[in-house]
Amino acid sequence: MQQDSVRYDTLDARPLPKWLTDQRDGLNTYQPEKLEMKEDRSLQISLISTGAIILLTVVLLTIYFLKRNKKRL
Amino acid sequence: MKPIYIKILIIAAVLSMACTTKVSEWVLLNSVPDKYILVYFHKGALTESAKQQNTKLKNRFKSANILLQTKQREDIESPKYALYFNNRLITEYAESDMFADIDRSPLREKVASELMAGKLSVLLYLKSGNKQKDENGLQILNKTVAASPFGKVITVMELDRNSAEEKHFVSMLLNVEDDLKYIEEPMLFGIFGRFRALEPLLAKGISEENINLMIDFLTADCSCLIKDDLPGSSILYNGNWENPQTALVNKIMDENPHLEHH
Repeated sequence: MQQDSVRYDTLDARPLPKWLTDQRDGLNTYQPEKLEMKEDRSLQISLISTGAIILLTVVLLTIYFLKRNKKRL
Repeated sequence: MKPIYIKILIIAAVLSMACTTKVSEWVLLNSVPDKYILVYFHKGALTESAKQQNTKLKNRFKSANILLQTKQREDIESPKYALYFNNRLITEYAESDMFADIDRSPLREKVASELMAGKLSVLLYLKSGNKQKDENGLQILNKTVAASPFGKVITVMELDRNSAEEKHFVSMLLNVEDDLKYIEEPMLFGIFGRFRALEPLLAKGISEENINLMIDFLTADCSCLIKDDLPGSSILYNGNWENPQTALVNKIMDENPHLEHH
């Protein structure tokens, strides 16, 4: 009903239904946000954190085995 | 698994499905038709026979999208009924016999049964009475629907503007917008959901491009924008909308994912 057109001079001037113009112009769906490229450091962070975990594990296991072997010795 | 986790899973599944339901299916399942109002205007006290008549009407209208009201008015010569929709006067009737078939008619029943059978839409072609114009529009319509990948789930029906049997239906269609009754051109109404008619394409607007946009609108995912501001107008109909068949458009979409659009 919103698109009721009560005033127009000719049939050619009569506006098209709003649902149709919205569908044609892609306005019936939410417009997606415009994505902006940002500096991506996720790979570096991932590599550093993986390396840190490996190092920590090696250190902890080394300490553990050294202590264990020390007792035997 | 704890019941709370199951509930969360079910809600998440329903929400994720809600965004992929097509407009036509969502409206059929969820959108309650807007109500017409039939007002009985009477002068002085309401007579016993009028009370009985109105009680009968109220009972008849229980499953229709219409409400009956009575109003006392001293400025009228004799009692009358008036049909309104969205505060717009559709028609006035001097006698209740004049609207015996206001809420049902053969064509409306056919349209409703197509929608309940899972069809995407009924494209109703309202003929102007001008043979040449009517033929041109109908040819474009039939050609476009036949070429559409959704052609099998769309039903095309024709209706004469001067049909006596469908006069109430024609009147309601011509009140979808307030200027339609003054335009003597062929019109194409997309009818979907629980008898909702889109604002029509008319005259030269009945083109292949516009018909395809209408089909696109009906096959699009139902966005919140559409749900909040559903276009079109409800048509008065007395029928049952419970348990419709599964939307046939979903099968086409599943078999042809490239047709998916938003």
